[in-house]
Amino acid sequence: MDIWKLLLTGSVTTVLAFVVGMLYMGLRRKITARVQNRVGPPIYQNFLDVMKLWSKKSSINHGFMQHVAPLWMIATSITTLMFIPILNNGSTFFTNLTFEGDLIMLLYLMVVGSLGMALGAGQTGNPNSAIGVTRGLTQMVGFEIPWVMALVALMIQHRTTTVAGLLDVQVQSGTWLMLSSPFAFIAALLAIPGMFRYSPFDIVGAPAELASGPISEFGGKYLGTMMTNGAIFAFVKLTLFVDIFMGGASNLGFLLLKTFALYMFPVLWGLVSPRFRTEQAVRFFWGWPVFFGVLGLIQAAI
Amino acid sequence: MSNIIIILAIFGWAILTYIAFRLNKTLGNIFVGLIAVALPVYYFTYVPEDYSFQVMGLTLQFGFTSFSSLFAILVVILGALTLLYSIPYMNKKDRLGWFYLNFLFSIGGMLGILMSKDFVSLFIFWEIMTWSSYLIVIFSGKKVNKVGVKYMVYSAIGAYAMLMAIVLINKWSGTTNISHFFETFADYSNGAKILSSLLLLTAFAVKSALMPLHVWAPNAYTNSPMSYTSLFSGALSKMGIYGMALVAIMLYTNTGMKFFGEALAWLGAITAVLATFWAVFQTDIRKLLAYSSIGQLGYIAVGLGIGTELGVMAALFLALLHGLFKGILFMAAGAIEYRTGKTDFSELRGLIWKMPVTFFSALVAIIALAGMPPLSGLISKWLIYEALLSSEHYFLIILIFLSSTAAFLYCFHFLYGVFLGQREDDIEDVKEAPALMLVPMVLMSFGLLALGTFPGLIFKHISSSMSYLGFNDVTWEMSVLTNEWGNKIYLTHLNTMFMVVFAVFFVIITLVARKKTRRVGTKDIANAGEPILAEDNYHFSQDFYKPFWRVISPVMKYRIETFYNSFANGIGEFFQFFRRVYTGNGQTYALYVVIFLTILFIVGATLI
Repeated sequence: MDIWKLLLTGSVTTVLAFVVGMLYMGLRRKITARVQNRVGPPIYQNFLDVMKLWSKKSSINHGFMQHVAPLWMIATSITTLMFIPILNNGSTFFTNLTFEGDLIMLLYLMVVGSLGMALGAGQTGNPNSAIGVTRGLTQMVGFEIPWVMALVALMIQHRTTTVAGLLDVQVQSGTWLMLSSPFAFIAALLAIPGMFRYSPFDIVGAPAELASGPISEFGGKYLGTMMTNGAIFAFVKLTLFVDIFMGGASNLGFLLLKTFALYMFPVLWGLVSPRFRTEQAVRFFWGWPVFFGVLGLIQAAI
Repeated sequence: MSNIIIILAIFGWAILTYIAFRLNKTLGNIFVGLIAVALPVYYFTYVPEDYSFQVMGLTLQFGFTSFSSLFAILVVILGALTLLYSIPYMNKKDRLGWFYLNFLFSIGGMLGILMSKDFVSLFIFWEIMTWSSYLIVIFSGKKVNKVGVKYMVYSAIGAYAMLMAIVLINKWSGTTNISHFFETFADYSNGAKILSSLLLLTAFAVKSALMPLHVWAPNAYTNSPMSYTSLFSGALSKMGIYGMALVAIMLYTNTGMKFFGEALAWLGAITAVLATFWAVFQTDIRKLLAYSSIGQLGYIAVGLGIGTELGVMAALFLALLHGLFKGILFMAAGAIEYRTGKTDFSELRGLIWKMPVTFFSALVAIIALAGMPPLSGLISKWLIYEALLSSEHYFLIILIFLSSTAAFLYCFHFLYGVFLGQREDDIEDVKEAPALMLVPMVLMSFGLLALGTFPGLIFKHISSSMSYLGFNDVTWEMSVLTNEWGNKIYLTHLNTMFMVVFAVFFVIITLVARKKTRRVGTKDIANAGEPILAEDNYHFSQDFYKPFWRVISPVMKYRIETFYNSFANGIGEFFQFFRRVYTGNGQTYALYVVIFLTILFIVGATLI
């Protein structure tokens, strides 16, 4: 493999993911504001925030694990991004490492960042951080189950475990998997808000009780890295979902359209929902989403 | 020369060590260090040959097969490292000669099991291993009744099951040769097949703590000294896996009795889920690790139960890997116990500042346990999922996924509860563990790191040992994994990518505003404007996963131990009835004699 090409395309992909993710988060703030009858910040406000954080004169550090926690997260996001197909038109520019990993590996790769975050938050000594982490892990046990059920159904039905393979299935048949496997799609879609941790699943940050939870001791360059990571990771999750269920995209315009449409689901749901308690969140995910997941598995088995 | 000499040498050395400790402690420690070095050197340089002799009409045969030598590697390496670790760890304790006698006997017993080619010698060595481990479980002298008796009863159940199987097999086939049994198994009647294989499976399942025969394990793992528990959980329980693999593959998969294999896989999956849930709520680090061990062995049973090539490969890989990472974790728990004297989460915190090497070894082991890249745990998890996917086990894979996601909870609890959180003054005089305790942990961490990118180092041995189980031409590559559908992952690319991005950002984040980064203590935190006083500590250790408990408590009410206890109570009450008759009072017995004679007299009188 050509290292220099990977370096070039990888950087371009990363920057694309960063810009798109940041814009989406800005749009979310704008939409939230308009729904609540406020003017709201400009769409580019998040770029300003990141720049401000990176140029902060001082930052506070409680120890080595806190120092490396944001790196752990951003390394996870960028590595995951490299393994996800951006476009489905066979263009070699965005290939990166797409054909060198599969979904099972991605599932495990995507949680590495959370572990780093958990350890970093744990070292700060802030009790809110540790409480937030336990809540986040508990919630993860909740939403991973319907999400994995959906993926297992698709993987066994189409006898491939790669994202590229599932994408090929959709390109060749011309049907999106969300239409041919509706139950798996519903299960996965209901798990998405848990991954984004917007209301009603914002129990990890929980501004009112935990004072933003795990990130409460991170500031300056650390918080800047985390915001950067948040933007990239949002793009990763949306693109992965679009690739698996919505047929991918043949050019960047379609990609933006589809990912934005998908992104609106957790955002709009969050706007009209109060916060769940942790156990309510897990019970929610183990209720209807798992039911649809089981239907999806049965559909795949028949 | 025969290879039985290794075992005799170990037993002989065990007795010499015992004598040495009676004479002088230092001399004894030297003896232990010598065998720890000699064991791997001897094993890896010596080419063993088969050996057999006749005794009382039975032929006893010894020799490693390609399958058992895979487990022997684990026993030898882990045995040597735990012996080294024991020297400083046990140094302050009494009766060391007795401890090392049993320690070496269990290593010898394990190697004997792996060398046995007939059931009788297998049984003898199995019992040597069980007895020596029992004597170490009760070595501390605490909870002998509660823990020791439980372990003994379950081991006895296993031993009787095995003995019965051996007697039956000898009766049916006239020989106790193991490979002869496997070859002729297909000719047995259905009843004989089911009975003999289930009896053997019971014996092995007890040792590997498969539910519902796991009840002894958490307490036995906790009660023995941690240096031995590393071996106990890492290698000794793998003897159960060794036997289980033979039963599952040779008897079930290869003879078309797939149903029993499936049942074993489901038992394994249930074990994995429930043991993981219990591990999440433990408040003692040793108990947490013990339950986690039971759960991990559940995964191995799943891989063996489904019996496909990838499944067996996953099971064997995880068996070796579990020896490494659980070895490290129990050693880390031992190091913490050695330096602080505490093992409860409510008493420990902030040790990362005092025991950094222990922390990083434990971190490596935890990442491997959780199955995250860039370490080798990912490979075992990946193999087992791919095996389940390609053999279309839709619901089994969900259970395994539930278990391994819930495992993140206790992984975090272990690292956070012991090493992180708010520092307190009571750890100020804690020191890093002695070098001899760190060396085994660090060595094994490097092993985990290397296997994370180059699993081929172990796949080489696994593929040759799988040919014994009937899987010929197992394909493997040094750092590329392939599933049955041809999907690949390239570990070198994944791991290099991760590490390079990590390193780049490490440089950036360290250099940006480097001079202005303030390093503060863990009590200098954002706390709604209220400073934390010196005497306060806000470390989070109580009710750690309370919300999760609220979710799953309906399931956790049903414990097999409750059933066993009520069964035991029922038996007890049944015998209480006899107790009323046999009161132990001489006068009562005299009365019985009088009553008996009277009845005899009356009956006799009426008859005449």
